[in-house]
Amino acid sequence: MELIINGSKRELQLESRTLAEVIDKLGLSGKPVVAEVDGEVLVAEQWPAFAVMPGMKIELVHFVGGG
Amino acid sequence: MGKESGLKERYSRQMLFAPIGEEGQRKLLESTVCIIGMGALGTVLANHMVRSGVGRVRMVDRDYVEPSNLQRQMLFDEADAAEALPKVVAARNKLQRINSEIELEAVFTDVTPANVLELIQDVDLVLDGTDNFQTRFLLNDACFSKRVPFVYGGAVSSRGMSAVFIPGVTPCLRCFIQSADAGGQTCDTVGVISPIVDIVASYQAVEALKYLSGAAEARRDSLLTLDIWHNQYYAMKLGKPREACPCCGLKQYPALREEEATLLSLCGRDSIQISGHEPFDLALWHQRLSPAVRNTKVNDYLLRATLPEGERLVLFADGRLLVQGTDDPARAKTLVARYIGS
Repeated sequence: MELIINGSKRELQLESRTLAEVIDKLGLSGKPVVAEVDGEVLVAEQWPAFAVMPGMKIELVHFVGGG
Repeated sequence: MGKESGLKERYSRQMLFAPIGEEGQRKLLESTVCIIGMGALGTVLANHMVRSGVGRVRMVDRDYVEPSNLQRQMLFDEADAAEALPKVVAARNKLQRINSEIELEAVFTDVTPANVLELIQDVDLVLDGTDNFQTRFLLNDACFSKRVPFVYGGAVSSRGMSAVFIPGVTPCLRCFIQSADAGGQTCDTVGVISPIVDIVASYQAVEALKYLSGAAEARRDSLLTLDIWHNQYYAMKLGKPREACPCCGLKQYPALREEEATLLSLCGRDSIQISGHEPFDLALWHQRLSPAVRNTKVNDYLLRATLPEGERLVLFADGRLLVQGTDDPARAKTLVARYIGS
């Protein structure tokens, strides 16, 4: 499925077609990440139930811990 | 020159900035902030707060100045590193020369569930200068339980982030993330360049100035994320507090209930911290250890020595111990048992 992730087109092979699977495929599961899809903020517990559609614009914000 | 005219002179350019003006400046002078973490972000934050005339600045940090800090921690110099001065002490010394009108409090301690509420008591705002999520969650929970605004900032590599979290108004850190796993991305593993630190801390500082000078309506209502090397910038709307959030919704503040860990690995730093010891008489321990160790350095706050095994041991007057050169807690315990006893 083609998605637009952080402004770039990405082709991902998905089975469950959920946001949780997208984030897992990108190696970000368990990391301090928040997602925004079409202006809606989605936290980790909402990802398994969120269905992704082709062409969806997904912003993934990875929290920065250093300082 | 009287105090009033001296103040007018010192802050004249800031007061000419209409959104602050004389009234905003007066509010700043009557304000108190607490900066937790006096490293890269913390030194930039403190510099802005003190020069801007925030009346009382409390600085909290557990660490001392080392040569690898000098690339980006802007209040420190080579003499501070040679003296192994606590960062809060070195920062206070420098800041006093910058603005002697400000009341500066240097607190040399680890922030824990046992002391965090006391540290943020009577402050108008808390600024985040920490370098790990564990302490950030603790600050977040403490601030939201006491309804104190918390200005988050983080920087690593060329990436940075900042947001203003206001209890009862905006979401908090826990509304967005639950995991404290930085995925190995710390300043000690993937590095950091100094411009990102200045930029992030300056974004935090300006939000502090807005809030403290009474310009709440000017608050940036977004989670800002940027990568200044790869030219990326994104501002995500903060939205509303989440009902299922352990702080905003459920009022549980989990980090305040955690038992204090006696053994703490300082992520990515090849160091283990051990707390819970009685306070150390540093002069006495200097005498005791001298025959066995080399390169000892002792000051009013700490004793540092290189062990024959290669690791470095740091004893802090407050009873903390640091074993540098290992990330293995068992190894650290062995060495502490060997030289300090239990």
